Amino acid sequence: MNVKQIQKFVLSYIEATGCQILEKSPNHITVKLSPDADRALTNRPFYWSFVDRCGVAPETMTYTWIFEKAPVPEAGIPSTPLTSLVTGGVRVAREEIYFGSRRLTQLFDAVRQAGRNVTMFEEPPRGHRDPLGSQPYTAWLGVNFKVGYECDMKREELYGWGISLATGVIDDKFYEGLKDKRLTPRLPANIHLLRNGLSLRKGLSQLENALERKIKTSDFGWAVEAENRRQEERNRINQYYGPLLERSTEDDEQKAVLQTRQKQREEEIDWQYRPRVAVSIVNCGIFHLPGID
Amino acid sequence: MHFPHLSPAGMPSGTSSEADPAPVTKDAFSAGQQLGTPGSDTPPRLVHPLVELKFNRTVFEELERRVERNGPWDDWQMYRLALEAEEANRVSDFHELQCTRLLPAFTPLPHQIETARKVMHEMRGRAILADEVGLGKTIEAGLVLKEYWVRGLVRKVLILVPASLVLQWVRELANKFDLPAVPQKKEYSWGSDIVVASMDTAKRDPHRQILLDNEFDMLIVDEAHKLKNKRTSNYKFINELRKKYCLLLTATPVQNDLSELYNLITLLKPGQLGAEGDFAANHVVDRRVPKNEAKLQESLGQVMIRNRRSDGGVEFTRRFVTNVPLHLSEEEMALYQGVTDYVRQHVKAESGDIASMLSMVTLQREVCSSRDAVFLTLVNLFKKTQEESPLRARIWELVELIRNIKSNTKGEKTIELLQAMGDEKAIIFTEYRQTQNYLLRFFNEHGIQAVPYRGGMNRGKKDWMMDLFRRRAQVMIATEAGGEGINLQFCRNIINFDLPWNPMRVEQRIGRVHRLGQKEDVNIYNLCTVGTIEEHIVHLLHEKINMFEMVIGELDEIVQRLDQEESWEHRLAKMVLEAADGEELRKRLDGLGDTLLEQRGKSKRGTKT
Repeated sequence: MNVKQIQKFVLSYIEATGCQILEKSPNHITVKLSPDADRALTNRPFYWSFVDRCGVAPETMTYTWIFEKAPVPEAGIPSTPLTSLVTGGVRVAREEIYFGSRRLTQLFDAVRQAGRNVTMFEEPPRGHRDPLGSQPYTAWLGVNFKVGYECDMKREELYGWGISLATGVIDDKFYEGLKDKRLTPRLPANIHLLRNGLSLRKGLSQLENALERKIKTSDFGWAVEAENRRQEERNRINQYYGPLLERSTEDDEQKAVLQTRQKQREEEIDWQYRPRVAVSIVNCGIFHLPGID
Repeated sequence: MHFPHLSPAGMPSGTSSEADPAPVTKDAFSAGQQLGTPGSDTPPRLVHPLVELKFNRTVFEELERRVERNGPWDDWQMYRLALEAEEANRVSDFHELQCTRLLPAFTPLPHQIETARKVMHEMRGRAILADEVGLGKTIEAGLVLKEYWVRGLVRKVLILVPASLVLQWVRELANKFDLPAVPQKKEYSWGSDIVVASMDTAKRDPHRQILLDNEFDMLIVDEAHKLKNKRTSNYKFINELRKKYCLLLTATPVQNDLSELYNLITLLKPGQLGAEGDFAANHVVDRRVPKNEAKLQESLGQVMIRNRRSDGGVEFTRRFVTNVPLHLSEEEMALYQGVTDYVRQHVKAESGDIASMLSMVTLQREVCSSRDAVFLTLVNLFKKTQEESPLRARIWELVELIRNIKSNTKGEKTIELLQAMGDEKAIIFTEYRQTQNYLLRFFNEHGIQAVPYRGGMNRGKKDWMMDLFRRRAQVMIATEAGGEGINLQFCRNIINFDLPWNPMRVEQRIGRVHRLGQKEDVNIYNLCTVGTIEEHIVHLLHEKINMFEMVIGELDEIVQRLDQEESWEHRLAKMVLEAADGEELRKRLDGLGDTLLEQRGKSKRGTKT
């Protein structure tokens, strides 16, 4: 993520949570958090439980987030007079936001928490609308999968797929397609929803199966290499413990200790090297789109 | 003791370690069977003979619940941002280092990045980092940790360091790497993701049991040479800990014995150097002399990285060394002569015993430092000597000589030096606690702010002293024990009030100040009393072997090679005691210096091949 992208991301978050922008320049932004954002970001559970219980008006925090260090202002030019005017002397925390900073990491976590499940409707096209007619809408299950290929190293892929709950058709560019559509959380007028042929569960299973087929065709060279490493490591510890165990045939206690140790090392090696694929769901939702497929 | 978030990242649940091929699950295409499976993880399916696939359905199950209850629904923009965040954090490639673009606070040096890369791709996250002092082992470990962290391969991390370094590690990880490390303070601290603790705490119950009951995605041990002995509780404890990736940091992987190295490597990768018997047979001639060196180097290279200053690529500021010759006052000289005579006689009386020999030489060295240092030793000696012994009277005479001394020549010279520095900070090293106390008093009388630093202080106090020195005091007075692990790059003046005899320890002192991050040239002052053994030692270290300007890596090696037969200190002590006069002592010391230079020549040739 470059500076521009980060800035855009943060601004979107501010907008989505209804925070109030007090000051803005290409390099920074000063923002008074909305209650929602404050709850998510400031880590003040006691304060918020106090507000909730006593019903007092909350006082949210104000931050200045710096995206790129501006050149040092020349002498004579006061640095940030405006902020202190607007905030009325409230303390403003200054933070740098860059990829990898704790604040941005926290923002990432906050949006993951706050953007898990949606139900959306595409707005019907404007204009030639038959006031008496009703447009048929199909429900889609849209799922954003994250596929992690893991051994002692890791690589990830994202898939934004969708399945029509009416027909079972799978669209592997589903999420991309949504980007161009105008979506609303409210049920539009003059539409009717088609009956679902598939349950949500069934829909998900079919998506998973399709994804599994795709994964199966991928290149598993990395896994073979990881497995070789794993075997190598196992041979190595066997070489080490083998002779030790032979020598300790008489001492049962000693032998048991060695065996435990060997087993532990083997488990560690498996833990470290065993190639595996883990698929998780970033978020998923139900999307009602015009059409009957 | 259970913590909610202790399950480490990536641990295959129900480790099917014994059965090699993963258990074949039901035909993946009869998907109907998955219906109604409780829990979030589907049973593993096989996507390749070697690879299991698991689906985690947590987020979907939440969708189902919300459908049932008809909401509440999340915001569409948040939904999109969540995916954007995921995309931004995605690890797109197995190999490329991700973390370097995430570190705005500093830029790692090329050798550090290369080390991190090697640790991950060639050593697969289990390695000994054995860089020479001052090249940034902590940074390298931080890079590796950050990279695994960013990739989500590591969540639960244990870092074991000497108590005095705990806060420094926490700070470094926070400031440079933005990693949420916490110092271990109470039992509940163990629940945090990245915990920095002292080895001594960790290996004690109840902590020990808590740690053994857990699994760590990554274990880092600093000053790992303390794990060289297989029979110690430290070693056993580390051996028992369950860990995936593991880094051992030490500047001196071999101190006395090749088997130390073998033990260290066995912690990481048992069998890397063959079975125990094999190692001795294949690689060891004498306990300190390796056999099949090329082959040993190759096996070592697979688990150990050692960067040297002499490899270049790292720029250090210059060192200026000044010897400050001093003439002891008449009274001080009288005491020195008195002690020297006593030592000579005494050694003749009970020749051969190394320990008592060393303590005799210590007396002489103490006189050169301060009367306070020698006073306590004399008093103790007096108490130990039997009442009827004629030596008692001799010792008491010496104590009487101390009474006559009214001033400390070295102390006064030090004040002169400090005044000449203006308001620049300086660190003063002495070997003796009594001298340290004396100097604190003495400086206080002269209105110079000074703080002490010594090994015996607890962690908090050490940190506090460092802080005081950084912010307020002009001077820090440190005893030898304080040498390990403190970083004082903000100071560029070192005064060696007295010198240790082992050049390695001198180098350690200098290394506190002259290290990466030091932006100024460094001044080193050696106080040296003319006509005493100190003069001879300074001559040996400074003029003969020129150690102050030597590249440090060489020194490690040379001293280690020489140490093989007899420890350096013993050798020097013997020479001092056996020499009839100054002339002869100097000759013999020159001889020692020559051997050392010879070794240096050898080791230079050795590294070239």
